[in-house]
Amino acid sequence: MTETQVLVSGGTLRRLNDPAPVGRSRGRLTIGRTLGYIALIIAAVGLLAPFFWMIMSSLKNANEVFSVPVVWVPETFVWQNYIDIWTKSDMLVWIRNTLFLAVSVTFLQVLTGSFAAYGFARMKFAGRDILFLVYIGTIAVPWQSYMIPQFILLSNLKVSNTLWSIILLQAFGAFGVFLMKQYYETIPEELSEAARLDGLSEYGIWRRIMLPLSVPAIASLTLLTFVNTWNDYLGPLIYLRNPDLWTIQLGLKSFVSNLFDTNYALLFAGLTISVVPIAIIFLLGQKYFVEGIATSGLKG
Amino acid sequence: MNRKILAAGSIAAVAALALAGCSGGTDAGESADPDAPITLTLSGWSIDTTPEFQTLADAFTKDHPNVTIELKEYDAAEYNTLVTADLAAGSGPDIITQKEVKYVTTFQEGGQLLDVSDVALPDGISGTGSYEVDGAAYAVPYRQDSWVLFYNKALFDAAGVDQPDGSWTWDDYADAAEALTTDASKGAYLHRWQSTVQGFANAQTGTSVLDGDFGNMKDYYDNTLALQDAGYQVDFNTSTANQLTYQGEFGTQKAAMMLMGTWYTASLIAQQASGEANDFEWGIAPAPQLDAKTAGTDNTPVTFGDPTGFGINANIDSAKVDAAKQFLEFAASEDAAQALAAIGITPALTNDAVVESYFAVEGAPTDDLSKFAWSTHEVVPENTTSSKTATIQGILADLHTGVMSGSTSVDDAIKTAEDRVKNEVG
Amino acid sequence: MTTTEAPRRDAAPPQTKLPRRRSALRRRNALIGWSFILPNFLGFGFLTLLPVLILFYMAFTNWNVFGKADWVGFANFQRLLGDGSFHIAFWNTIYYSVMHIPLTIIVSLGLALLLNNKLRGVAFFRTAAFFPYITSIVAIAVVWNLLFSPDYGPINEVLRAIGISEPPGWLTSSEWAMPAVVVVSTWRDMGYYMILFLAGLQTVPRELHEAARVDGANVWQRFVNVTIPSLRPTMFFVTVILTINSFKIFDLILVMTDGGPGQSTLVLSQFIYKKGFEESQFGYASSAAVALFFLCILVTIGQFLWNKKRSA
Repeated sequence: MTETQVLVSGGTLRRLNDPAPVGRSRGRLTIGRTLGYIALIIAAVGLLAPFFWMIMSSLKNANEVFSVPVVWVPETFVWQNYIDIWTKSDMLVWIRNTLFLAVSVTFLQVLTGSFAAYGFARMKFAGRDILFLVYIGTIAVPWQSYMIPQFILLSNLKVSNTLWSIILLQAFGAFGVFLMKQYYETIPEELSEAARLDGLSEYGIWRRIMLPLSVPAIASLTLLTFVNTWNDYLGPLIYLRNPDLWTIQLGLKSFVSNLFDTNYALLFAGLTISVVPIAIIFLLGQKYFVEGIATSGLKG
Repeated sequence: MNRKILAAGSIAAVAALALAGCSGGTDAGESADPDAPITLTLSGWSIDTTPEFQTLADAFTKDHPNVTIELKEYDAAEYNTLVTADLAAGSGPDIITQKEVKYVTTFQEGGQLLDVSDVALPDGISGTGSYEVDGAAYAVPYRQDSWVLFYNKALFDAAGVDQPDGSWTWDDYADAAEALTTDASKGAYLHRWQSTVQGFANAQTGTSVLDGDFGNMKDYYDNTLALQDAGYQVDFNTSTANQLTYQGEFGTQKAAMMLMGTWYTASLIAQQASGEANDFEWGIAPAPQLDAKTAGTDNTPVTFGDPTGFGINANIDSAKVDAAKQFLEFAASEDAAQALAAIGITPALTNDAVVESYFAVEGAPTDDLSKFAWSTHEVVPENTTSSKTATIQGILADLHTGVMSGSTSVDDAIKTAEDRVKNEVG
Repeated sequence: MTTTEAPRRDAAPPQTKLPRRRSALRRRNALIGWSFILPNFLGFGFLTLLPVLILFYMAFTNWNVFGKADWVGFANFQRLLGDGSFHIAFWNTIYYSVMHIPLTIIVSLGLALLLNNKLRGVAFFRTAAFFPYITSIVAIAVVWNLLFSPDYGPINEVLRAIGISEPPGWLTSSEWAMPAVVVVSTWRDMGYYMILFLAGLQTVPRELHEAARVDGANVWQRFVNVTIPSLRPTMFFVTVILTINSFKIFDLILVMTDGGPGQSTLVLSQFIYKKGFEESQFGYASSAAVALFFLCILVTIGQFLWNKKRSA
């Protein structure tokens, strides 16, 4: 892509995102910046307060969780809840299952989704738009309503009550295709055109151009799919009946409750443990959302 | 366009095939050797904390050593959804535990239950009516809980209030609640379920919810709201916001009285033994009555409750049918009743021997009134067996939350519910 | 691809001149296009599309889930039209969506814009924004029920402290229950959509911003004239997904209010679930699902057309 071509096509090139210009007041705390930070901190408090209460409640005795008035910090910290979760429950089995499911589903979703999205975004063929609308259409149907026919189908395939059922269910969703397609549409056609002129096949274009340029979308799809699979409750409830197949959400629910009662302190302890891996992944993966990796043009 | 029609047609064909392939259960055909080993699957919930299934299974296999009963555990809260899904996919259990009466007609009309009218039932067993559809029985009751009044004897003595004597009406109950309320504890605790008010309203006035006329509930709701407003019982909204548990409220002596089902005695005994509940003397009394006609120990108090029963999967292996029916007959028998009573479950068959077993458990109350309350009562089914029941109960649940949360007046809520029944059930 | 000459010739060809090459090209495109889509479509078609089509078929029957499904034509739909609860669920869903969608877009876009930089500590704030989404829904319901408690909850305590003597009943009042649910739902979703917007913001060309700044445009003008147009595909995606998710809302309401008090927070997904799994009228529930589907599709098509018009 020559300079001329850029000028002529008014091309929207991608550039490495420079850090936001700090302006003339770099290094000095202006009133605006301080106010901004304060506003952010208040917002963060609002966002995290319920979660904070949940963590604190996990350190209370079961019958102290719901007290009137609301107790934000318990007087004595009951660490026993955490010990109980690790020693008395099958937490490790649940974590293993959940991890396996989350990783497989995410990998398949991102792979097949981005692959299919290229077909929708870049290839023109008859029925493409209608098929895409069909894809989106299925998102518009609530899962509980077709849960039973789906269950019957998977049972006939003999995969219900195995981990494969969840993988099959979640890995081929329309959401990933939709997300990646939208993102691909922001990548200028000129890049692919030039690559085609250079003799690259469509598959090569997908691999060498689209994928590297859509890292933020891939990162967000990965994260969101991972979280959804990690926290999924109803799907595993219906399909994973054997206790050794249970995911964290399933296992916790049955561990902390019997027919009439739920030990909320214990439940919260388990849920806090369950949130940690996702928080770590998010913290580590943040840079992929905000650092655009782009080329300034192809060689030549 | 043709391609699309072809596509649609083939999809329909695949769909039909996929759904048709869903009927499960092979057919053995020939009559099997009565002593051949047989495995029956039985659906249960919270198996670790609900010992009744294992108890019945063990007691049965002792007399029938060639039969193994395999318990299939289901999530307690979503039991019906999961059993339905399994039955639809052809992988349901051989013996289907009927956890709630309002789903019996669904299974029966869906052809999932075998006719078990030929299973012999002992005289005096209660709850059989709930499993009869068009004159045929489709399940057998093994357990019949009913609603009684739990009361904390220690708190009564401390407040100087006379303990229940079995002759209470609702006015007596309200008076006691007022006298028992102190700073530390309320007179009564009423749990959030619609049963706590509507069960009594229907059973004691002899009203069937299927008629769609709910005027009988007005007095009951007015009384309950009065107790709530006066502060003699925790109000509904606080109970919801704080997820109060009835075991917690009564067990830690935050309330002196509580209307609850007889299943609570087993939990309370266990919790007192483990220390989760306080150590205090308690008893059960008959539920307060509408008027003096049914009150008192020489009358039969009216209360409500639903049985729990076992049905047989209509798609069961024909070689297993006899064994399954034998299990049902056993579950309703006196032997099973004794076994259940010994672990604190209220069986469907209660005679003197069973009463003794039940109250012989360590930690159970020993006074005569408790025995009377548990064994002598007219138990009106809470859910009439009909295909309309589930819908109507749903409408009534909305009535309950509307009234108890204070967001709708009793009259408005009743009128709305009646209109909805006409509109949605017809 | 053919030589550089071919494009020019194809620019305005009469049909008769290069029919074979053109249809060969079309066929090749179709083949390649399908080869991309196929892996995903195989799984999707069988596991999602097929059950959905079965569902649509069942809407015209009196399916009882155990195999009996006699054709009843439009009877279910006629019943829906006259069903009071369906109307309530329908309007509650619209009410919820109309409040939730704009609020969420504004908040999550605002968060994304605010946090799309490398200032110190911004990673922490981004994580904070995302936390509500990764917390279990059971925990969320329990916590917010407590916070919204009319007599003892902190929210009403604060309201009373600033002078509102009769704060709303929130989840216990039929007027305030839905707004309370919208607050919790937005709180939960803003991190999710913030992520999508963040990814989209990476496509906004830096040099256009620079050029605009050099030309003297202020922050707002740059936002309107540079950021928003570049965000269009992302904005479209977020709006469609957010709209569909709002119409379909189920889990949160189920655990927070279960449709109550009364029916004040009953939404369509819940109506479908109740009719199906609590009242065992699966055919009728399917017809309600079809109705929900058409509601979503009509709005989505509207958004598609709007988007096409804008990008034309």
